[in-house]
Amino acid sequence: MITVDLPGKNKANPKTTDRSGAGGSAGDAPNLGPSEFALDIHEKTFDELSLVLRGRLWVENAEEVRAALMRAVEHEPLKNVVVDLSEIDYIDSSGAAVLMELHRKCREMNNMLKLARAGPSVRRFLDLVDFDHFKDKPILRPRAAPPLLVQIGGGAERIYHTVQDIIMFIGAASIALYEDLRHPRQAKWDPLWKLIERSGSDAVPIVAILSFLMGAILAFQAAIQLRKFGANVFVADLVSVSICLEMGPLLAAIIVAGRSGAAYAAHIGAMQVTEEVDALRLMGVDPIRYLVSPRIVAVGLTLPCLTIFADIVGILGGCVVSVFALDLTPITYFNQVGRVLEVSDVVKGLIKSFAYGVEIAAIGCLRGFQVRGGAESVGQATTSAVVTSVFVLTVTDAIFAMFYHYTRFL
Amino acid sequence: MNERQSVLAANDPIISVRNVTAGYGDEIIIRDISFDVFAGEIFSILGRSGCGKTTLFKVMTGLLEPVEGAVVIDGEEIRAGESAQTGSVLKKVGVTFQSGALFTSMTLAENAAFPLRLHTRLPADTIERIVKLKLSEVGLEGFEELLPAELSGGMRKRAALARAMALDPKILFFDEPFAGLDPVTSATLDETILKINRSLGTTMVIVTHELASILRTADRVIMLDREEKGIIAQGSPQELRDKSDDPRVRDFFNRSASGPDSNEKSP
Ligand SMILES: Nc1ncnc2c1ncn2[C@@H]1O[C@H](COP(=O)(O)OP(=O)(O)OP(=O)(O)O)[C@@H](O)[C@H]1O
Ligand SMILES: [Mg+2]
Repeated sequence: MITVDLPGKNKANPKTTDRSGAGGSAGDAPNLGPSEFALDIHEKTFDELSLVLRGRLWVENAEEVRAALMRAVEHEPLKNVVVDLSEIDYIDSSGAAVLMELHRKCREMNNMLKLARAGPSVRRFLDLVDFDHFKDKPILRPRAAPPLLVQIGGGAERIYHTVQDIIMFIGAASIALYEDLRHPRQAKWDPLWKLIERSGSDAVPIVAILSFLMGAILAFQAAIQLRKFGANVFVADLVSVSICLEMGPLLAAIIVAGRSGAAYAAHIGAMQVTEEVDALRLMGVDPIRYLVSPRIVAVGLTLPCLTIFADIVGILGGCVVSVFALDLTPITYFNQVGRVLEVSDVVKGLIKSFAYGVEIAAIGCLRGFQVRGGAESVGQATTSAVVTSVFVLTVTDAIFAMFYHYTRFL
Repeated sequence: MNERQSVLAANDPIISVRNVTAGYGDEIIIRDISFDVFAGEIFSILGRSGCGKTTLFKVMTGLLEPVEGAVVIDGEEIRAGESAQTGSVLKKVGVTFQSGALFTSMTLAENAAFPLRLHTRLPADTIERIVKLKLSEVGLEGFEELLPAELSGGMRKRAALARAMALDPKILFFDEPFAGLDPVTSATLDETILKINRSLGTTMVIVTHELASILRTADRVIMLDREEKGIIAQGSPQELRDKSDDPRVRDFFNRSASGPDSNEKSP
């Protein structure tokens, strides 16, 4: 029970006085500094404890006021605690929180708390406060982790839903793509050329740098071994075949996954958050057809182009190292490349990279559509778009390797 | 001028907008605007949609660098791009945005606790009490542990108010606090705004269209206009409603204030 009295009642008769104040200047002199307060304690009768608060009661000193008040009532059970607020200049929410804490403490000790003689503005402010709030359950504690079994169940359920999402997405995207490619005139697409520019030509510099280095590193490592046997010229074999079959497609794909796959997940995820996807749907545009089909087509087209480019620059990188570290001439290097590298090797790499492109775009879009909630979820979608892509790329690579080997493809 | 207004006008201006010209790129939206907001006042910025209220609001909170002129808050000139860590002015200011801008990965309670945790050294249970207090002031008790995505639009708006008020700042800036609220909640919010203003002496700058709320809460208003790129009227809302000669001001107040019969006039 709490009562807030009007000023003018309860004239207190000081018997004992205890002082505490942030500035130390508290006491009989009422001129306290702006961040200071004073607490006077009067033991009026055997069953009444009278406290007088003065000065400011706000966020800068709430902690000290609280400590002082707690000290004052700590050993005083079964009393009427009267807090005189008439000399409070200013009180804010943290001050109110301190009074709430005092109320709780008093209840615990079976005291009766009475807030007395509050001035009009303090009173109006305290009217906003519901002093019984402390009974409620905590709202800021991190929620306790559920029992292990529940967590396992929750995890399984999530996996189930993810798999369901993926299957439905692949279904919807394939149908959408099929329809769009059959009737390209009716297709409503996000502008394709812009997507191609973003995922393709904008990636050229970084693909060039990395594949050049990759070719150079391969040549360098090979040279260390091959020099022992005087088989320098075979560096060209090693570099060209491994670049065209494996490194070129994989390197370009990983770069595109990091650039475009992540971008698609973030873009579509943010659209999901701001309800743009719903808006598209209500305007009669299928978001999958509008957003996903053009992205799959764009990356499916650009990734093989980037791969050819990566192949060429990688082989060049190998050439530079061979010339400087192995005393080969460029002519011998390229003659050897021409002798050993077959068109089918390059084609195999390009087929693979087309598959990679489709996968990257689809995974990026899928993760985007899976976003629920807000910014954090967009971040997770972006991360998982890249991680999933790299995983799927590697698995796809293994599948292609076996496929090429056992079917003697090309 | 009523009694309260003359008392307020005797206070020092806590915000001075001095010859501010602002816009985006080459496009000037507001030109050479000056006015003062006095300490303890509820000050409202009115105007038709697109007239530059949010733009002025961004200039006043330091989010947008004015092309010319300056904004002085509590004796300090604010600069665009200054953070609350370096700019001590911004600590005295609480802001809500037109779109809410709650952190989507935090619950309501965590959102409201965020400025308290950032700027004070209060212990966890005091923070928790303040958060409960603030959320109940805006009528959100019981929703503390929900994420913003799980709320209605109006509830998000109110949660943003609670977050802005968490530190009991000297100055509160609200961009469209009433948009998307039902009349009863708006009235409760009016009440809360008045209570906070009267008890803490908080200065408030409110951008709004809600006439009923303006008439109830605002001490003084300015009205912006798109063509004029500036202030076309200022004074107490009652004065503007009853005494203004400017047809643009009369239209603004009458169209929405005088019930269904005035709707016939609108195209
Ligand atoms: N980021 C921006 N870049 C360029 N122009 C902008 C930008 N934001 C707003 N504008 C332009 O500035 C003008 C004023 O916009 P502002 O958001 O200030 O209007 P407002 O008065 O707040 O309107 P409302 O009541 O609809 O919120 C508009 O014409 C708008 O096109
Ligand atoms: Mg606006």
